[in-house]
Amino acid sequence: MLKTRARFSFSFGGTSIEAYPGDSIGVAMFRAGIRIFTRSFKHHRARGLMCVSGNCPNCLMNVDGMPNVRVCTTPAKAGMNVTPQNVFPSLKFDWLSILQKLDWLMPVGWYYKIFTHRFIWSIVSPFIRKAAGLGKAPPIINNFSSTTAPYDHSYIHTDVAIVGGGSAGLTAAIENAKQGSRCVLIDDQIALGGYRRFGTVDTNKNENLIQQAMSEKQITILSHSYCFGLYEDRLLGVVQLPNDNTQGESVTHIRADRVIIATGTFEAPLLFENNDLVGVMLSSGVERLIGLYAINPGHQAVVIGDGARAEHIASLLQHAGIEVVSLVHSEQVVSALGSEQVTGIQTVTTRINCDLIVVCGHLVPNAGLLHQAGASLEWVDDKGAFIPTHLPSGIDAIGDVTGEHITPAAGPSSLNNDSKRCYVCFCEDVTTSDLRTAIDEGFDQIETLKRYTTVSMGPCQGKMCQLSSIEICAHKSKRSMNETGVTTSRPPNPSVSLGALAGPNHLSVKKSPLHNEHKELNAVWMNMGDWKRPFYYSRTRATTMQACIEREYRAVRERVGVIDISPLGKIEVKGRDAGKLLNLVYTHRFGNLKVGRVRYAVMCDETGIILDDGTISRLSDEHYFLTTTTGNTEFVVQWLEWWLIDTNWDVHVINVTGGRSSINLAGPKARDVLSQLTNVDLASDTFKYMMCRQAEVAGAPATLLRIGFVGEMGWEIHVPADYGVHVWKSVLEAGSSHDILPFGVETQRVLRLEKQHVIVGVDTDAMSNPYDAAMPWVIKLDKEDFIGKASLTTQQSTSVHERLIGFTMINDTHLPEDGAVLVCSGAPVGRVTSARFSFLNKTVIGLAWINADLAKEGNSIAIRINGNPAPARIQQAAFYDPSGDRLRM
Amino acid sequence: MQLFRNNRMWGTHDLKSSYDVVIIGAGVHGLATAYYLGKLFGVRKIALLEKGYLGYGASGRNTAILRSNYRTPEGIKFYNAALKLYEGLSSELNWNLLFTQCGHLTLGHTDTAVTGLRVRAEMNQLLGVNSRIIFPAEIQELVPHLDCSDRPRYPVMAALYHPPGGIIRHDAVVWGLARACDRMGIEIHPKTEVTDIQVSRRRAEQVITNRGQISADVIINATAGWASTIAKMAGVAMPIVSHPLQACVTEPLKPFLDTVIVSASLHVYVNQTGRGELVIGSEIDPYQSYSMKGTLPTLEQMASSSVQLFPQLHNIRVLRQWAGICDMTPDFAPIIGLCDELENFYIDVGWGTYGFKAAPAAGRYLAELVATGNTSAIIAPFSPDRFRRGRLVGEKAAAAVSH
Repeated sequence: MLKTRARFSFSFGGTSIEAYPGDSIGVAMFRAGIRIFTRSFKHHRARGLMCVSGNCPNCLMNVDGMPNVRVCTTPAKAGMNVTPQNVFPSLKFDWLSILQKLDWLMPVGWYYKIFTHRFIWSIVSPFIRKAAGLGKAPPIINNFSSTTAPYDHSYIHTDVAIVGGGSAGLTAAIENAKQGSRCVLIDDQIALGGYRRFGTVDTNKNENLIQQAMSEKQITILSHSYCFGLYEDRLLGVVQLPNDNTQGESVTHIRADRVIIATGTFEAPLLFENNDLVGVMLSSGVERLIGLYAINPGHQAVVIGDGARAEHIASLLQHAGIEVVSLVHSEQVVSALGSEQVTGIQTVTTRINCDLIVVCGHLVPNAGLLHQAGASLEWVDDKGAFIPTHLPSGIDAIGDVTGEHITPAAGPSSLNNDSKRCYVCFCEDVTTSDLRTAIDEGFDQIETLKRYTTVSMGPCQGKMCQLSSIEICAHKSKRSMNETGVTTSRPPNPSVSLGALAGPNHLSVKKSPLHNEHKELNAVWMNMGDWKRPFYYSRTRATTMQACIEREYRAVRERVGVIDISPLGKIEVKGRDAGKLLNLVYTHRFGNLKVGRVRYAVMCDETGIILDDGTISRLSDEHYFLTTTTGNTEFVVQWLEWWLIDTNWDVHVINVTGGRSSINLAGPKARDVLSQLTNVDLASDTFKYMMCRQAEVAGAPATLLRIGFVGEMGWEIHVPADYGVHVWKSVLEAGSSHDILPFGVETQRVLRLEKQHVIVGVDTDAMSNPYDAAMPWVIKLDKEDFIGKASLTTQQSTSVHERLIGFTMINDTHLPEDGAVLVCSGAPVGRVTSARFSFLNKTVIGLAWINADLAKEGNSIAIRINGNPAPARIQQAAFYDPSGDRLRM
Repeated sequence: MQLFRNNRMWGTHDLKSSYDVVIIGAGVHGLATAYYLGKLFGVRKIALLEKGYLGYGASGRNTAILRSNYRTPEGIKFYNAALKLYEGLSSELNWNLLFTQCGHLTLGHTDTAVTGLRVRAEMNQLLGVNSRIIFPAEIQELVPHLDCSDRPRYPVMAALYHPPGGIIRHDAVVWGLARACDRMGIEIHPKTEVTDIQVSRRRAEQVITNRGQISADVIINATAGWASTIAKMAGVAMPIVSHPLQACVTEPLKPFLDTVIVSASLHVYVNQTGRGELVIGSEIDPYQSYSMKGTLPTLEQMASSSVQLFPQLHNIRVLRQWAGICDMTPDFAPIIGLCDELENFYIDVGWGTYGFKAAPAAGRYLAELVATGNTSAIIAPFSPDRFRRGRLVGEKAAAAVSH
């Protein structure tokens, strides 16, 4: 029947491999006769398919440049390029397989014990690094968003989430759905049904359950999806694998009232010498090959195991046409025979030839999610397994994961095995001998044993080795299994790709409503927080940046200029208790601010550190309008809302940043320009400095604030974003007779520096309080409690250690970079926060922090430029218009 | 073979009723303090009490990055002393700590960030620490896989390059120090949890544990994550809040990343271990908690930041995530010294996200203080009374995410 379906091919190391639809890469390769799939991490031993379920590390390959792909479960696609990894030079012949002969040089922890000399280690470590690692890092690409698969994130809230689509999970989903609960059923296979899918028992019953679940409307089925984490408050992290090339992996976040874990068991290897040879396979892997793909993994098989399970496997093999040479009890096994591939088995009594050893391994309850969520795992002797108990509320376990149908797979005899070829951990090549040595050395706690030997720290995340390593640790240190305990289960398990976790690239760029206007005006862009802002506007190619900035500067100082300040944070605070909230959160008093007035505002944290600054305008009794620094907007909104929690105050905090287009019109001619566009009386005695009005500007509803960050008479004009372009154009039009110029952020920075106006986050940092920053007037210690009051009260009485000062360079060719250090006889005494060339007096000016004892007006200081001290002088008052007359014109 | 004779690393002991010094916490700080007390000052009647297994706390949960490119003179001198001690420690302990001085890069994505980096570079140079600002061409040469392309968000504008920084095997430091302590007769007691401390007449007299009661002349609180709860047992209040910090690790890859990469704007740091795994660390969680469980949002944030820096890693899988507890002080600097309230209760706490890289210096100079009463200038700025005196250390400004 298979032969009639469309075949396709992919490349494996240059050879073409034929595959059928539904094949995994590994299965197609196995069918084509490939037996060696990988070379092991440390000893470079040949390894072949073992679990055929994506659990063990034996089939990690590079697929289309991506390393560490589990080919046994990854669907094959036409044209794929599959290559082996960690081989020097090939899978069939690997030079580094010599390492297994040299393993006496590399016992457990060897690298800690030699190379203790610093220089020897610095020479040796690059070679060790190169030998370690698995796959090669994928080829370099730039820009995560544009070139990669479309990863996605989605969110589901449900009554019940069921993990595992075997018969237990299906039954639970159907029962819960019948009782009216919305259910999400998560199954990691490409089809529902669990292991019965490839078995011979109860197949009809299973098929019925699947049909029922699929027709039940209350059940959402996430097939080909695996749950990697069960987080606090029943949040499940689920990866949905793509069904075709156009999709990427998607992480679904499921929050459920109740979680039912029906994840069944997985099979782990038994311990005997050469248990890693190619041709030693787990029984479940063999069942899959035969049951799902009709592939016979060998001709003459020996089955290790006893009882019903071993007999069931034996009959399955025979039914498929494989000769079962012998059934061997696990305690009888001494060693698998063969150099790379199995040629036979040595038991206590005899030697048997065979080309396949089928191991009925430990059935391990797949209880990692339960353990993550806080359940205990308790050892039960007559099951030979850790069984989940003490489940957290809202979380249940059903089916095989609870220990149903499990019996011990092997007796304790193998735990005395001291072989250097009896592998406990297939990922890291840790042997029974390694573990026993480490325990002798004192690493007898399971957690330290794990960290010292690296057992369970590889790609299989402990699935293959955890049980065996605990057994050996318990046996050797003469503690019980429960005293020894299990290592912590940590998400994500199974592992998840970084891309899936990252999800779609949401790192969007924010653009002002006026963005295209700036573009037409030849803006040179800069990034500010999430925003694109004009740094300055370029003229002709011949005009230097400095000349452009000077031109913009002169327009503002001598005539009139306009800057787009839309990125500035804008928050409306409304309600009866709005003033109360602002009094609590800001250091100044705002409850008493008169309607129509604006006040400078600083907020501090509990330790008195400046968090943000801006202006607060009172538009009406219960309506305040706040501005914040661009980068802090979201934070300020959260901070205000945080302090509202539990207050029952009548306050609404609304972030209107994106909804407003804002400009600052400034310069001696600003009034002339604005008066052409509005009916408001702008006269200096009616619309004074630090006043606000709501009015129409060019026909648009606007909030006008008369403030002066750049040191000139000026208005901030805030209008709804839709009117932004119209108002901007109207202002430029109205100002054309005064030769108005738009100016950029850099020009604004020069202008404000001449006024020594501080930018929070540039001139202050996470240690600056308002006293040190020379603005004690913003703090009203005599008002009732506010955030930071206690700390600021102390800081007021203790001496200031550092102070923010202005300075002028003596030599106007010395321009310190922001961040340059102030030095005094070779020792650092401060740092420059901003320095610019000032067109005012053709000098270099700046702001700097300096040790308080040196912060005296007129003091000479030295600033380190290119390693040499350059002289400067302290000037505490503003460089431009220190009396502020120009603001009030 | 003689080379690999399997000596036992440490022994087990019954808990005695009295010791000269009891150190609470057998992480790197407690172990280093005990080690230097024994080695330099001959104090060996010491018990180290550890509530979990050896290295259970922050010592086994950090991302094992060492550096000394701090911002304040106090911080630079102190962490540089620690780095110098680490450089000699493998030989001294005859135990390879796998310290690789592969270099440490702190990326600047904004003007403000670059200014901050320049302050650090300048301060470092003045104090003799090898650090300098480098620009994208040189960054790309050092880290070919880093996305230095021109892009609107998080462009790589410059970096603080600190060649002596690097990574170490954190567990190896714990084991090496523990072995050395054991050899000097110092007792390490794992699975020994302190439940109370009895105080009388301004002295901490008795330490109550789940294995019995101990008296000691000197008691040292060298815990991380539980510093304030232990201090509270002795009636001492600490200016500390505890936040989880999360990290994760990927599957191993062949070496492609030779330096430690830190991005404060992206709240992430990435390095590749000797075994080939990528270790990715985050910023401290914004909320206070003692939970050591990883959370999904933080894992997603770490992944998102990592692929911003290294887009080609999008298919690389995360194997596990974990959390440790960071004790944060108001100024992001530690607290080392004799506590104000008691005559014999020393503290070595408040290690935030920077405790591991400090351990040898903290241990060395705390040992000196305990044994001789002399407070070295190296640790003097971090004394417990600085909060009362209002003399905070300005490291918070540089420490946001700076591993």
